[in-house]
Order: sequence, then structure tokens, then C-alpha cells
Amino acid sequence: MAKIFEVTIWATGVLQDMEGRHASLLIANAADKAGKFVQAWDNYADLPDRVNVPLRKYARISDEEIEMRYEYENEHPEMVIIMQDAIIKGMNVLWGMPKGGVLVINTKRSVDDILKFIPNKDLLSKIVTVDANSIAKVADIDFMGGEGGVEVVGIGAGPSAPLVGAACKVTDAFSLENVVAVAANKDGVKKGYEQAVVTNL
Amino acid sequence: MAKEYFYSGCAAAAYGAKAARVEVITSYPIRPYTGIMMELSKLVANGDLDAEFVHGEGEHAQMSVTLGASASGARAYTGTSGVGVAYGMEVYSPTAGGRYPCQCAIADRALDPPGDFGSEHTDVMSARDQGYIMGWAESPQEVFDNTIMFYRIGEDQDVMLPQFCCQDGYFVSHIPGKVPVPEQSQVDEYLPPYNHPHPLDPHRPTLHGPQIFPDQGAAIDIQRAGAHANLPKVIEKCVKEYNEVMGRNYAPMLDEYMTDDAEFVFFLQGGHAKTARYAVNHLRKKGVKAGMVRPRFTRPFPSDEIAERCGKFKAIGTIETSTSYGGAMRGGNLIHEVRASLYDLDKRPAVTSMMAGLGGEVVTLDMFFQYAEVLAKAAKTGQVDQWVYWAGFDIAGWEGARRLQF
Repeated sequence: MAKIFEVTIWATGVLQDMEGRHASLLIANAADKAGKFVQAWDNYADLPDRVNVPLRKYARISDEEIEMRYEYENEHPEMVIIMQDAIIKGMNVLWGMPKGGVLVINTKRSVDDILKFIPNKDLLSKIVTVDANSIAKVADIDFMGGEGGVEVVGIGAGPSAPLVGAACKVTDAFSLENVVAVAANKDGVKKGYEQAVVTNL
Repeated sequence: MAKEYFYSGCAAAAYGAKAARVEVITSYPIRPYTGIMMELSKLVANGDLDAEFVHGEGEHAQMSVTLGASASGARAYTGTSGVGVAYGMEVYSPTAGGRYPCQCAIADRALDPPGDFGSEHTDVMSARDQGYIMGWAESPQEVFDNTIMFYRIGEDQDVMLPQFCCQDGYFVSHIPGKVPVPEQSQVDEYLPPYNHPHPLDPHRPTLHGPQIFPDQGAAIDIQRAGAHANLPKVIEKCVKEYNEVMGRNYAPMLDEYMTDDAEFVFFLQGGHAKTARYAVNHLRKKGVKAGMVRPRFTRPFPSDEIAERCGKFKAIGTIETSTSYGGAMRGGNLIHEVRASLYDLDKRPAVTSMMAGLGGEVVTLDMFFQYAEVLAKAAKTGQVDQWVYWAGFDIAGWEGARRLQF
């Protein structure tokens, strides 16, 4: 079995249910465009119909067919994306991350402020901060959770676009060009890439 | 040209129903099938689908509205999961016995206790003997295709039966896969409008579902049984035609993988067949002659096909994703019928079963590998040591972490 690149996305219940899912779909669709085998799905146990509970969305990218398709969670995410910075105060967002992973976070705050709340920060090789809400000019796009449903058009109109754009700066698993191609807010993806602040740890 | 989308099983069912031009939809929420109704309600609200959308006060009402809609000549669509399937139970026999070819989408879910939203086939397997046509899809694409195909099969005038169009909750219903969606004109060519011979109509009164005298019962039951007897032929015709019109490659009854020279096969339905294929690939690389057989229909059960095509294997291992407490063999439901189907053969394979995937448990490659050891031994000796093996307990357990040894 080939190595699988795992991405875990954290978002808030109902408010960011769709944007969180869009982040995983942007990543999967972009990698799919490059001919990779991909998977994008929601955590099944996180109860997405409760407002503001932390939710996980996942993406997997591989050069070969993904045989662990039905495993509920990403056990070893090399990349973690946070849609709303307050989530890090209550959750071990780096759960399962192997040493040398990266964290991409939607925030106005400084890297030092963020790291204060991550006790296991020694796992990280890089942290990327970007103010995706300001770039997208909106924090939450849709208040309707769409559990089990899949958006067919308009993926990445809100903060997911600049956030995934920022993630392109620190990975080869999916490219900026392909994320731009599949996102609704193409300008947002590019701005996210440009404005992302990468800090090596 | 078919356009390809990333659909979850839920979305695939919803867009399948839209392509089938359903006219009445009834809903009541329960995970994991809810996504189907959320997508359909969006389609109706946006004006993309011209259908009556009725929200029932429970599954019993939901099934009843669907029955009524179908009786009045509308193509009716509903669905449910888990305990919802159980709550609608009373209406299944009237729907099948009244010969209303409506469709009930199932994204399966474990029954209580305790509360669990994982996939398990027991919910709708409990309703398998009511006369519904019933089968599990392996992927979102098959969910989409089955939704259309099942309507065509059920609405055939030699059949006229309702359908459970099943998919594994979460594994298929929530994990998106690629679905090539055909043109609407292709679907229209394949699936003509629904035509009930005697619809309920105030201008042309007819009587449906009256009380009868006890000695009239058998005459009605034999007709329902007769409709099921007609099914294999109708299924073969309808699947063949679907393949031609949509450019697909579905087997009518038994989906076989690497069975030509297989000594033993895994026998299972639903989404876990995907993992079974990967397991077979790995086993083949190690020189083990494994294969997989997946029934596309549970009702009608493919008895003839099993007798005809599975007698050549030395061992068959069913993978039970449902429970049959106290039943023959003390395990799940598939082994009863697989064994019974093989009974008339002179030379019968050894048949055993593995309980796995209950309550939403992932059936892992390791479980398949260790079950393969059991089956390889049965193939060699022609005998089974146990009727039923519990994955995670009897085999592939926590202790020892045994590795593959061939």
C-alpha cells in the first residue's frame, strides 16, 4: 500500500459545517485533478447538527488506490487545518500527528498567541497563519448543515478558499494551480497563498 | 456525454430519484439516510424537481403516504434507516401485498440497544420476507444506478412490487465517490412513466386493500410469490438493458471477482465488498486462490445462480453484516440461504460464516486475511470447524495479533 497523505480539518458545528467540508473537497478535487487517488468526507461521530461543537472533516491523497477507505478517522494527519482559531483552546487538534507535521490556521492572531494553546507543538515543523475571514469577507457562508449531502457546484466560496490556498505553500500533495481551478472564489485562493505567513518551528 | 460528480451515497440516491422523475416524496429524519431527503428537499425548493414533498410525523406515516401515492398512480419515493425501518414495519406487507411499486431508500443502521448510528444490515434484513425487492449497492455509483434500475424492475407489469434500495450507512452513504451521471434523455429512454393499471381515482372508483375471508388469503399470497418467481427473468432483462443504455457493466444477480480458478470465495453484500476485493488482490499476490462473490439482490435471493456457479468452489465464507440470533448456524442471515441453495448439489462446498461489520465496525483487511486462513483450511479438508466466527473475537482478535501465515 502506498503512503497516504492525511489532512484533518477542524470547523465549528453548523456554522462552518459547509465551509469545513468545502476545504476537504477543495483538497481532494485539486489532487484528483493531478491524477491522485483521493477521498474527502465528514467525521461521522461529530454530530454536525449541534451549533459550535468542534467538527472534523478529512481528506486523503495517495498515489495508489486507498484501501483504508472505510476507516472512520485520519489516524496520522500530516496536515491539520483549523477553520476557527478558538477551537485550539479546547481540543488536541494535533491528535495522531507524526513528528514534522504542519498546522494551517485561520486567525488574526500572532503565531506566538496560537502556540500558547498547543502543548504538543513540538510535533510541528511549520505553522501557517492566514486571516481567511478577511480575505473571503465572510466568516460563515451557510447555516445549513448538509450531512451526507455533497455540494456539486460552488465549492470554496467562503474562507475555505484562502485557507486551502495558504496550505498550498507548505505541501506538494496538492498544487495552488489545481486548487484555483476547482474553487469558486479563485481570487480568494490566490490571496490566501500570497498573504499566508509561514513560520518554521 | 455522462458528466462525473463526486457524490456521497445519499446524494447519489437523491439524484437517482430525480433522474427517475419521482412524483411524490415522503420524509422523516433519521441518520444516516437524512442526507437523501435534504438533497431532494433542496431540489424541490429550487424548482429543479417537480414533486410533492410530504414530511410525515414518523416512519409509519411516511410509508403509508408512499403507499397511498403509489396506489393513486404516482411514482413514490421514501427512505429510512435503523429503528425507522422497524417503526415503518406494519406498512411493508400492505405495500408489497397491494403490489405498489414504490421505492424505499435504505442507508442501513444498527438497531438499538445501545444507541448506535453505525452501519449494520439487520434493520432491513428484518423486513426481508415481506415481498419487497431488495439489494445492496457497493458504491455511490451503484446507488445511483440501482435507484433507477429498481424502479424499472419493480414497475414491470409481471412484477409490480416495492423495492428497498439499500446502501451501507456511512461507508457508502457518507463517503463520496465518483458517479458518472447519464443524460436525462438516457434515463427517460430506459424508464418509462409509471403506469398503475387500476389507480385510485375519485372519477373512476376502484377498491384497494379490502378485508377478505380467511380462505381467500392463499390466493392472494400465491400471486405475491408468483411476482417474486418472475423476478429473476425480469431482473436479467432490465439489468442488461440498463447496461446497454448507460454503458455500465452490472451482473444481474451475482457480482463475481477473481472466481474463475478460485478455491474459496468471500460471499458478502454491500460496501464491504470493496475491501474484500483489495483483500483478494493481496491474497492472489501471495499465491492464494481467493475470490469474491457479491449478491446484488437479497430478495429475490439468487439461489439458482449460487447452485449453478458456486458449486465449483471448495469453500465459501459468508461475511455476515446482520444478525440472526438463535437462527440456523447461530450467526447471520446469509449462511442459511447460501447453504440451502447448495443443498441439491452432489458435491457441495464447505460453508462457514464470519460475523463482522456489526454496529458500524470496519471490516479490516486483516479480518479478511485471517478469515482466509480459515477458508483455506476448509478448502483443503472439505470441512468447517465452526459454523460461525466472530471477527475481533474468534479471529483477528486483540490478543496475539496473529499475522498472515500461508
